[in-house]
Amino acid sequence: MAYAFVILPFFALILANLLPRRARAPVAFGLTFALFLAQAAAALVLLVSRAGGLAEAGAVAPSGSPGAGLEALLGFHLRLDLWSLVAILSAGVVGVGVLPVAWSTMRDEGRRLTFASLLLINLMGIDGVALVTDLFSLYVFIEIVSISTYVLIAMGGEAQAIEGGFKYLVLSGVATVLLLAGIALLTLTEGDLSFASLARAAGTGGGLGRLGVILFAAGLLTKGGFVPFHWWVPDAYTGAPTAVSALMAGIATKASGTFGIVRVVLALSQGGGAIREALIGVGILSIVVGAFAGLAQRDAKRMLAYSSVSQVGYIVAGLAAGNLLGLLGAALHFFSHAVCTSQLFGNVASLERATGSSGLDRSGGLGKGMPITAGTSVLASLSIAGLPPLSGFWSKLLVVIALWQTGHQGYAVTAVVASLLTLAYFIGWHRRTFWANADPAVRPAVEGGAAFLLPAIALSVVNVGIGLGSPFIIGLFVR
Amino acid sequence: MNGVELFLPIFVPLGASFFCFIFSREGSRGSGIVALAVSAVNLAVTVIGFPLRESIDLRWFEPGFAFALTATSFSAFLLVAVAGFGFLVILYSTLFLKGRRAAHRFFFYALFTLGLANGVLLADDLVLLLIFWEGLLLTTFGMIVTGRAAAFPTAIKSFVIVALTDLCLMAGIILAGTEAHTFRISAIHLPATGPAAVAFVLLLVGALGKAGSMPFHSWIPDAAVDAPLPFMAFLPASLEKLLGIYLLARITLDLFAVGVGSWLSTLMMIVGAATILLAVMMALAQKSYKRLLAYHAISQVGYMVLGIGTALPVGIVGGLFHMINHAIYKSGLFLTAGSVERQAGTTELGELGGLSRKMPITFALFVVVAASISGVPPLNGFFSKELVYEAALDRGWPFYAAALLGSLLTAASFLKLGHAVYLGPERPGRRLASDPPEADPAFVGGGGGAGGDARIRDADAPDRAADPAGAAACAPGASSGEAAGVREAPWQILVPIAVLAAACLLFGLANALPLRGLIEPILGHRLGGQSFAGLPRSLPLALATIGVLCVAVASHLYGVRRSGSGLGAADHLIHAPLLGRLYAVALSGRLDPYAIGRVAVRFLARLLRGVDRGVDWVYERLIVGAKSIVSGLISRAQSGSYQLYLVWMVVAAILLVLVVVR
Repeated sequence: MAYAFVILPFFALILANLLPRRARAPVAFGLTFALFLAQAAAALVLLVSRAGGLAEAGAVAPSGSPGAGLEALLGFHLRLDLWSLVAILSAGVVGVGVLPVAWSTMRDEGRRLTFASLLLINLMGIDGVALVTDLFSLYVFIEIVSISTYVLIAMGGEAQAIEGGFKYLVLSGVATVLLLAGIALLTLTEGDLSFASLARAAGTGGGLGRLGVILFAAGLLTKGGFVPFHWWVPDAYTGAPTAVSALMAGIATKASGTFGIVRVVLALSQGGGAIREALIGVGILSIVVGAFAGLAQRDAKRMLAYSSVSQVGYIVAGLAAGNLLGLLGAALHFFSHAVCTSQLFGNVASLERATGSSGLDRSGGLGKGMPITAGTSVLASLSIAGLPPLSGFWSKLLVVIALWQTGHQGYAVTAVVASLLTLAYFIGWHRRTFWANADPAVRPAVEGGAAFLLPAIALSVVNVGIGLGSPFIIGLFVR
Repeated sequence: MNGVELFLPIFVPLGASFFCFIFSREGSRGSGIVALAVSAVNLAVTVIGFPLRESIDLRWFEPGFAFALTATSFSAFLLVAVAGFGFLVILYSTLFLKGRRAAHRFFFYALFTLGLANGVLLADDLVLLLIFWEGLLLTTFGMIVTGRAAAFPTAIKSFVIVALTDLCLMAGIILAGTEAHTFRISAIHLPATGPAAVAFVLLLVGALGKAGSMPFHSWIPDAAVDAPLPFMAFLPASLEKLLGIYLLARITLDLFAVGVGSWLSTLMMIVGAATILLAVMMALAQKSYKRLLAYHAISQVGYMVLGIGTALPVGIVGGLFHMINHAIYKSGLFLTAGSVERQAGTTELGELGGLSRKMPITFALFVVVAASISGVPPLNGFFSKELVYEAALDRGWPFYAAALLGSLLTAASFLKLGHAVYLGPERPGRRLASDPPEADPAFVGGGGGAGGDARIRDADAPDRAADPAGAAACAPGASSGEAAGVREAPWQILVPIAVLAAACLLFGLANALPLRGLIEPILGHRLGGQSFAGLPRSLPLALATIGVLCVAVASHLYGVRRSGSGLGAADHLIHAPLLGRLYAVALSGRLDPYAIGRVAVRFLARLLRGVDRGVDWVYERLIVGAKSIVSGLISRAQSGSYQLYLVWMVVAAILLVLVVVR
């Protein structure tokens, strides 16, 4: 079962490229869409059916006896747990929401085929990251995600896109070095690369073992765009085609970086005090810096990029806090932020189509001509800012409570204040883009059609539904 | 369903008031007729239903709160009284307010007030009582606003003061309900100690605030000037006293066990005695008919509070008897003031004089009600005061002395008032004054017996043509125009006053009727079989009262001789060596608790504004500044230089390692 998530994208990729040239792009898009949809549905069914036991099972490291020799180093086992399902579900929902936008923003058949093919590779990597059970396989799938992402960013071909892709390539290269160095050290001290080795290295592995863990974690933090390793994020998100930005912010970056951190923290279980504290610190730093930087931006995509930096901070802070509420809050925020941020990038794509720019200064009064885009944008951004009763409110609430309960009261307060800053820049964006007086010389904007509106509406429904149903959903996992 | 007729006195006036509200227009007479008819129906209902002792209890939204109504002998008695005053005042108002600004709204408020007052009297649940009680706050405000254009600040003043006392009442109700574990009035009987004593004091504040006792009185004299006169006769003079004292009696007798030895009893007596003395001293110095009456309306509350506060049966009976007596003669007095205002155009004592020749009937009625409030035997005021005196003397001579002194000054001030208005050289009031009448739009069309002002006559003309009775009454004044001067008031004005004056006589001469029939059943077994009807039980006290009245007359004659006019009859008291300075301060309004409170509030507002500016600065300068600095720094760090990024990352990684590995 678990292997299907990894293998199906691979077969779909081959199938789409074997077809006659004219059919390739539509079939590739159709297959990708179908895969995302199927993946979301399957993950949802599994998640609901196994809800009761997952929270506890997910909190401990996957067991499994390490083998011997090369098998121990390079064993390739896949396993489903709460976090795999959350990641797979998020990927499915984001893909379903982004693909129609991508289709209608890319007019060239060749680009469509390239995009779909790369997306299939990306999907394979994401699912792999979500399912693997050892560090080396994790590294391999992270690289699969990263490499397909470089090309996705740069495929637009404009100078800005090339710059964004290149920046990601360079800084991600450093991350790769850090990851490999960490793996090397862990191999040296622990002899195997199962997730359990992380806990051993952090606990009894001495200085070298802990160095290995922290180097591995630093690599993951870079891939995930955490402060102070976030430098590639704004340029990459701004330079990439908006549909790609939506995909990256929604799931790709999270899968390659944040999800790795999730695995590390889960492996540490209750141990790893100093590492855990350092991760909470990084999370809070990301929250604060991302929020302040978001306030200063003049471009919607750049603002959303910083917003993503800020939001992934909540995931790691909640997770590293270490109790069940933090775990649930982080999982919920993982999903909620994936839904909302990819929807916002989709909305920005719609605004770009209408006005030709994503700058905040060159638009205004769009709310009149584009009421659905405006309304769904407001819903999604208020959710990210953590306003009740939307989904982001519950996830942030759980994270903050978890921080408070585990004795990080200062961090909890900081997280709440930063969420006010988030609200501030989103409201500024709404005002300038949707409500301020329109320039009378500019032709009034109109909605971009079903390809933009249906995903936005669907994701908003998910957002509001999760928000309203949160007490029920949380109750499903906390018995 | 049994007891459903208890809804009638509440919902008939309320429903009719909404009819008035919706269908009446400025200047139309429909609302006045409807109000008159409904108040007559209300009177009939309460009189017919007087013997009924029923109750009804509808479950409300939660157990603990119930829409519970109960007719007790106390409430039945007061229902009739309220209905009677309501009917008389509305009858009076149909003519008095004719053509005035916002008269239709006055009738709406009057009916609404009637319904709410009946609700207060019937409610058997503290929360329900509070709801009706708060409604009265709004109608008070609304009725004052229907007065002249300048009435709004006064309305605000009354609202603030009464709302504050109502807040205390609310807190008291919550506390009492919590202590007793129920809000059912008939089920609460708490010992007046500990938290229950606090609840009692809070409820006391609410009751005294409604009754207009000191120190919650200061809006009443202002309202006397600004509000329409029927309002004064209706609410502060009668209805609010009835309701306030009703609540006071209920909390003292039923809700709490306040004994003779309780400090709460002493507290009430002190408040009562102070109210009697201070208010009557202020009344003595007034130079306006209506303000003088307003201060007496405050002063007389003191007797009721003092009587009930003694916690002796004789005092309670006296206080309640005084309550109904006061309502009768004080609304009568206000109505005579209205009559004078309507016919002479002013109520300033300095501009009036010798009206007894022009308005003999009004004068005669005034003499009766003024004698009653002064406590002249054999009128009703004499008998109720005697009962209060007896109880006060029983509890301590200072209380008795204060009450007696108050009586002296009351008599002196009414001698002064009567002399200044009705006797002495003829001063025609404002109708024939050389300067044109006050051009206050609120008073346009105020009087029928108009003299020189053509504008007023024109404004009145359509109304007069449409109302035969009014036209007949007004015709002489209008036709003889310039030289005729002041005329007697028409029958709609005189009949209510006459009824009230007759009631004064009746309740005095046949005091067994109210005492045995109405008041003593309220106390029931507490009286232990004794009755206070008939002549005063203590001859020395009665003689002392009569002696005090003689002193008042003597003082008046002395004052008239000294100052040469009725208006100055009390000047020798006001300018007495010690009192003079005190009066100067008090008359300037600086002792008004409301004025002091306003100064305090203004100071507080300035203080808070300072704090607000400071907080604003934090928001507008500090936070915005800090935000732009921090955001700017972070943005500048994103310089586009790979080298710098790599350096940052390496530094960060090293830091992480240092933190973790150490």
